[in-house]
Parts: sequence; C-alpha cells; structure tokens
Amino acid sequence: MSYQFIKLQEKLQPKDYRSNIEPTWCPGCGDFGVVSGLAKVFSEEQFDPTALTLVSGIGCSSRLPLWMNAFGMHTCHGRAIPAAVGARLAKPEIPVVVTAGDGDLFSIGMEHFPHAARKNFDLTVICMDNRMYALTKNQQSPTSRSGYKGSLTPYGNIEEPINTIAFAIACGATFVAQTYSGNPKHEAEILQAAVEHKGFSFVNILSPCPTFNKIDTFQYYKGRTIDINKELGHDPSDYVKAVELASHALDHDKDPNAKVPLGIFLKIEKPTFEDKVLALKQKYGASDNPDWDKILEKYRP
Amino acid sequence: MAFDLTIKFAGEGGEGVISAGDFTMRAATYLGLEVVTFKSFPAEIKGGYALSQVRMSDEKILSQGDGFQILFAFNGEAYEVNKPLLKPGTVLVWDGPEGGDFEPEFDWLEKQGVIAYAVPMSKLAKEEVGAYITKNMVALGAASELFNIPIDVYKQQIISKFSKKGQDVVDLNFKALDAGINWVKNNIKKVDPYRLPERRPQKDVIILEGNEAIALGAAVAGCKVFAAYPITPATTVGNYLSEIILKANGYVYQAEDEISSMAIVIGASFSGVKAMTATSGPGISLMQELIGLASMTEIPCVVVDVQRGGPSTGMPTKHDQADLYAAAIGGHGDGQRIVIAPTNVEENFYLTIEAFNLAERYQCPVLFLTDASLSLRAEAISTPKIKEIQSRLINRPLITKDMDVNLDELLRYKVTDTGISPMLAPEVSPKPYTATGLEHGEDSSPRTRPDVRVMMMEKRFRKLKNIEDENQHLLEWDLGDLQEGEKADISVIAWGLTASITKEAIQRLRKKGYKIAALYPKLLYPVPVKAIEKVASMSDIALVPEANYTGQFARFIRMYTDVKPVQYNIYRGEPFIPAEIEAKIEELVGSKVNA
Ligand SMILES: Cc1ncc(C[n+]2csc(CCOP(=O)(O)OP(=O)(O)O)c2C)c(N)n1
Ligand code: SF4
Repeated sequence: MSYQFIKLQEKLQPKDYRSNIEPTWCPGCGDFGVVSGLAKVFSEEQFDPTALTLVSGIGCSSRLPLWMNAFGMHTCHGRAIPAAVGARLAKPEIPVVVTAGDGDLFSIGMEHFPHAARKNFDLTVICMDNRMYALTKNQQSPTSRSGYKGSLTPYGNIEEPINTIAFAIACGATFVAQTYSGNPKHEAEILQAAVEHKGFSFVNILSPCPTFNKIDTFQYYKGRTIDINKELGHDPSDYVKAVELASHALDHDKDPNAKVPLGIFLKIEKPTFEDKVLALKQKYGASDNPDWDKILEKYRP
Repeated sequence: MAFDLTIKFAGEGGEGVISAGDFTMRAATYLGLEVVTFKSFPAEIKGGYALSQVRMSDEKILSQGDGFQILFAFNGEAYEVNKPLLKPGTVLVWDGPEGGDFEPEFDWLEKQGVIAYAVPMSKLAKEEVGAYITKNMVALGAASELFNIPIDVYKQQIISKFSKKGQDVVDLNFKALDAGINWVKNNIKKVDPYRLPERRPQKDVIILEGNEAIALGAAVAGCKVFAAYPITPATTVGNYLSEIILKANGYVYQAEDEISSMAIVIGASFSGVKAMTATSGPGISLMQELIGLASMTEIPCVVVDVQRGGPSTGMPTKHDQADLYAAAIGGHGDGQRIVIAPTNVEENFYLTIEAFNLAERYQCPVLFLTDASLSLRAEAISTPKIKEIQSRLINRPLITKDMDVNLDELLRYKVTDTGISPMLAPEVSPKPYTATGLEHGEDSSPRTRPDVRVMMMEKRFRKLKNIEDENQHLLEWDLGDLQEGEKADISVIAWGLTASITKEAIQRLRKKGYKIAALYPKLLYPVPVKAIEKVASMSDIALVPEANYTGQFARFIRMYTDVKPVQYNIYRGEPFIPAEIEAKIEELVGSKVNA
C-alpha cells in the first residue's frame, strides 16, 4: 500500500472501533450503515485507534466521531475540512477521515472543500448525504432535489441541487466515488479504496433520513442503483469519461428511468500537499533544533 | 543631556520614504545608538501621504517622541502636514529650489526660527542621475553629508537591497548618493547643530520590526503550524515566519480565509503540535466561533491580533487599540480566554513565547493584542539567548504510551482542583478521545445534565482563577521613588504601545516633581483586579489613556473593580505622543514647578 499510516501488528475487530457511547440517531437512520462500514474498513486496514483521527462538523451525521473508538474532533458547523487539514499539517503519518453532512460540507463549509481538494491533501472526506438538513429538523440543503418540502420551503424547493460528484471532480479531487449506506458490501469496498487512496478522496454516501426525508428513502434507492465500474465497465483513470458519467449523476431526480450511479468515478495519482511540504522541509534542512545563531545572524545590524 | 535626535522622511507613498527611514535606522544602529522607528503609510500601494521617522539616542528610547528635529519634505503635502510641528531650531530639508512641487513660506520659517536647506532631490534624480526613483537616495546622500550619517552603511544597504537586480542598479543608487553629497558640499552652508556621534563599541543586538519579533518568537517557542489569511497589518508576521519556519521544522500555510486558519490551528494543536495564527480586526470577528471551540475543547492555541482602525474595513494601516472587547469577550456563550498585550518590540518577541507558554499551561486560546504602529516599529534589542529561553518553555501535560496509567481512569476532561486535565494526543497517548464543542462529561461524551454543565463550566474557569497571582511577571510596576505608604499625585494604568509612550511622559513629569504610581499590565484579561486596585489605591485619581473611543480597558476596570478611572482617549489613527499624556496629567493634578 502506498501510504505510511500507523498500523497495528494485529487486527482488531470492527466492534473495537466503536466507542461505548450509544448513538443518538433515530432507529433506521442511514448513518448507522456508515458507522459499520467505517468500522469494518478500519479493522481491515489495521488502523491504530490511538492514532486514527476522525473529524466532523455539526449535524446528525457529524456526531459520528463520538460513536467511534478513535481520536475525534467534533468541530463547528462547516469546519471539519480545515480542522482535518490542520491535523494533516501537524502529523502527516496519521490517517484522517472527515465525516460530515451535505449541509455541513456544501453550504456553510463550502469555501473549504475546493481548496483542500485542489491542494490534494491526503484526506478521506465522506459526505453523509441525506439530501436535507436533519438536525435542525428538516430544511432544504444544497443537495436537496427540486421540489423538496422543508420547514422553510413548505411550497417546495425552487432551487437546483449541487451535483457533488461533478463538483468534487471539478475541484481537483483525485478520488471521487459514490456509494449507498443500504448496500454494506459496496459501501465497504468503496470506503476501503478511498482510505487507501493517496490524496484527496471524496465519497458521497447516500444515507437516507427516514424521519424527515420521505422521498430519498431506502425504498427509493432500492433497485435503482447501478455500479458504474462493474456494470458499465467504467475505468476510473479515464477523466473525460468520469466527467461525463458524473454529469448524469442526478438525472434520476427528474427521469424515472435513470439510474443512481454508484462506484468510483475518478481515481488518479498526483503528489499530495503533505509530500510537497516534506520535500521543502528536506530541501531546507528542517530540524527541531535548527542553528539559531545562524538564523539570528540575519537580524544583525 | 543625552543625545536624542529624530529624523523624519515624509512624502508620497512609493517615493521611497520608508526605505530612507529604514536605511537611516540601520546607520544609527551601526553607530551603537538605540533606535525606535515610526512609520505610517496609506493602504494603497502608490500615492497618499507616507512617513518614516527614526528616533535615535545613546539611552534607551521608550516612544517615537513628540516630534522631530530634522524633516525631509519630499513634496508639498509632506510640508503642509508637518508645518505645525516645525519648532524653533528644527531643520527643514525641502525639494527645491527647482524641480519640486512646492516652495516653503520663507518669511514664516525665518520668524519661526526654522532652518531651511534646499536640496533639489527631484531635479538631481531626474537630470543628474537619470532616474526619478532615486530621489530618496539623493536625499540620503544629502542627509549623510549634512548630519554625519555614515555613508558606508547606506552603501551597504543599497548593495544588500539591490544587488539581486544587477550591478547597474547598485551603481545608479550610488550615483544618486553622490549627487546628494555634492549638492550639499557645493551649495549649503551648515548652520544647524545636528551631527550623529562617532561610532561607539558595538552592542550585541539584533534589529527587529514588531511583526518580525512575533515571527521569531513563534519559531523559538516551537510553533510548527502557522495558518493565516493575508490582512494588513498582520500579513508580515507570516512573511517573516516563512523565512525561518521550514528550517525549524514547521510550515506557514496560507489558508482560504480566517475561519479556515483558526480551524487549522485547532486541528494541528489537537494533533499535538504548537500552532498559531495572526490576523487583524476583521479576521478576529470571523474567528470568534472557533475561538469558542478552542475554549470548550481546551485546546491550546495562539491568536495574534495586530489591531488596526475599525470597525469594518476602517483604516487598515492605521493605529488603534480597539479590539480588546473582541479579544476578551467577543465570542458567544461564556468561554475562557487569556488576552495579553506587548508594549514594545522586545515584548513582541518575549510575550509571543509567553503566549505559547500560557496556552500550553492553561489549555485555552491566548489572544495576543498588538497594533499597527508596533507592527512596523523597529528596535535594536539585546540578542536573545535562545537556549535559555527554550529551557523555560512549557509543554502540555501529555499522557504518553510509556507511562504507567490506569486507562479506565484516564479522562481527558477530568475535573481537578486546578481545572487542568491530562492531555491526550494521537500517536503518543494510549487512549483516544473526541474533542467536542458540545458540553461534555469528564470522558468527553456529550452531556446536558445541569450538574455536569455546572461542574464543567466551573472546571474550565477554575484554570484562570489565579492567573494574576501565578503570573506577576505580566504586570509591570513603575512607582518611581515613591516610598512605602506614600501617596501619589496620580495613578496611571496603560497597556499596549500606549504604555511605552506613557512611560516617557511619566519620566519627564517625575523630573518636574510629580509623584506617580504606574502599572503597565501585559495581562489584560482576565483583568488583573488586585494590581489595578492596588495602584489605584495609591492616589485619588486613576488615569487610563487608550487609543480607542470607548475606553475599552477602562470599562473593564469599572466592570471588575471598584476603581472609577479617568479616561483619556484618542482615536485619530495615530498613537499618542508623550507630550499629550504629560499635558493630561498636568491638567488633572495641577502644575508643579518645584523641579
Ligand atoms: C454556525 C451555525 N449555524 C447553524 C447551526 C445549526 N445547524 C446545526 S446542524 C445544521 C444542518 C446540518 O445539516 P447537514 O450538514 O446536512 O447534516 P444532517 O443533520 O442532515 O446529518 C444546522 C444548520 C449551527 N450549529 N451552527
Ligand atoms: S433525523 Fe434523520 S438524519 Fe437525523 S438521526 Fe434521525 S434519521 Fe438520522
């Protein structure tokens, strides 16, 4: 594997990555699938829970780090990505996973996503996409479909949603995928590939909110998904094809015959930000005990 | 009488008055003099009024002074603005008799006792040197010849500034120096008494600008991640730090905005390294929510605020002391914070290190309040003893994997007598936790039970309960020759750059026979109640001069103590001058002529 993350000698069970804090999510919440998927992947990857760091913002979904046995930062609404960037700058040997909601990442936190993506920070960013704001009790989010009825738009959403897949590709993310929390096997595969990818990986997880969102439900997705890699033979290193496929990711909102695409849209290799910082530090002879006399020389009269 | 001379270069932004001042400051330092500079320029890149002033003395200098003895007026505006400050005996060097854009009022100057020398800087630069941009070098050549400023230092400065651009650029500037020198030799008969002294033994000093001192302090303190978004007058902290930090195994990161900068600092510090950001008023406003997160999660971090005139975009390059409310109580909810403020360049260096120490010790955000004037002020300070400083650095009480601890009892937010809990960090600690901005129990799991809330609020604030007693070194006392129990004429409390200006005013007043008790707190928040009540109890009047409109610290004093201070506020975008504070005190106390 290409990365030098801290690993355990022996494998822990997925349950060992769960904290003893009981999740406060509603029964049937799609986010439970994300927790189990992540726990499984962390176990496979033999990540050391005393090094692994999970970062989130605010929202139902963003509570996730609290339910896990790992270092966690449950930050302010929208600020998961920059907090994770700070963690990567501080200790590039530690795996950092961002788990946040669609509102958190693409509304209030929107100014951060494109920059972390284009700089290719070695981060895994997971959008737990229920296509609305849940914690504040049902408002439209930037990924809500047109016509969606939220508490502030009882007459239906008059906006068009962001196509997060196409957006992530446009921002320069080097790994872009979509999966569905109702398909644990697919989800675990995708999450594992994302975590193993060296560079900025973005995974949109369709994660229904049965309490508020009565449209984008488990029943809705059932039988409507298509695996773009296995069923359509998409090669994620094909950037042009990835853009084309991504452009159709939301067709199903309006076309009852269109499928919901799952799988890896894009996976390309580029130097990470962390590697470039490391190279600079080597070039300039970085040391915790630099030659201070020499540094001070510069300020002499 | 000590040697004490101030030379001021004034003109249009982009005309080189700033580098004329910088070069002259270095020349004075080379002679072994103490220096303090004062610079001011418009927010625009070119145009507008700019000034650079160098005060030099053979004794320690506290402030930029009340005025100047020598003025180089590069244009008519510079002359007009400074006319009220032309006192008997001052020297005016003006851009004439040909080529300049103005002519001084000679009759008025003569009556006033001002000595005027005409040096056709524009004309010589254009016609003799062949490059108008060398106007400031013509001025420096004239300055060197007129006032005995070592020309070799000017030449050295030209080489280090321009040699990258090629030998011809260096030669051109040398030619301009010569043009200035020759003009003075052939045309001016010196009648003023001002001459720089001969070189004295070199002291072991380094020259730092305010923001440079912060950058160096951060590097010495072991800051590994500096994240910031450019904003005047804080930007240069990052510029200077980026020249050092790679060598010191850190990184300067240009973030997409201030919100991001602050989140990055928290993320880096959570992960176990020291981290800092630097911004100015507008940026502090944006950071407030995250500064609150650092309070709630008890993550050490340093936030530098180089204050400028506000509110809103205000006056980006001008002086103000009006972010104290924002720094101390600007966030929502009750969050614990520490606010400290330096009073001079040397303290910009040492207090930055102290800011990291306080953050590590009390596990909370430390706001470092400096200002636009101090950011640009240059001083020569004794070369810091880095090893000695580093031996006094405080590190967070990290629990590491090799320690023998009971994991079940290891709680990140453990309630203790001091309020300070064991610190955990990824990779080094044996047990993970989640830092959450939600109210939480000792084990960091979210809790809203009233008893837990009360317990945790009290725990967090308990950390700062004794901060004044524990940090007496952050309170500078100046009682002059007041005897124990003796009553003072007045008590003065001043902070930030205003403190160093106040000090100079007080020194003069003491010579006139005034009894003054002064306190210069570097710790502003939590308000050092005991020290303030003590200094105020020494007289009937307590004066708080501040460069802001509302009297922010004076109001904190009213809020937290029984003291009812007299406020003295200016808000014109420039610092006080010592004479103003001197006059205010004389007005409040009544004049004393028993000196
Ligand atoms: C600065 C700020 N503004 C608003 C809120 C209120 N708020 C909490 S969660 C949330 C939306 C969450 O939506 P999303 O990120 O999609 O997460 P979900 O709850 O749907 O999982 C909002 C607006 C907040 N906590 N902070
Ligand atoms: S409100 Fe929706 S998103 Fe939130 S926990 Fe309940 S089901 Fe999940």
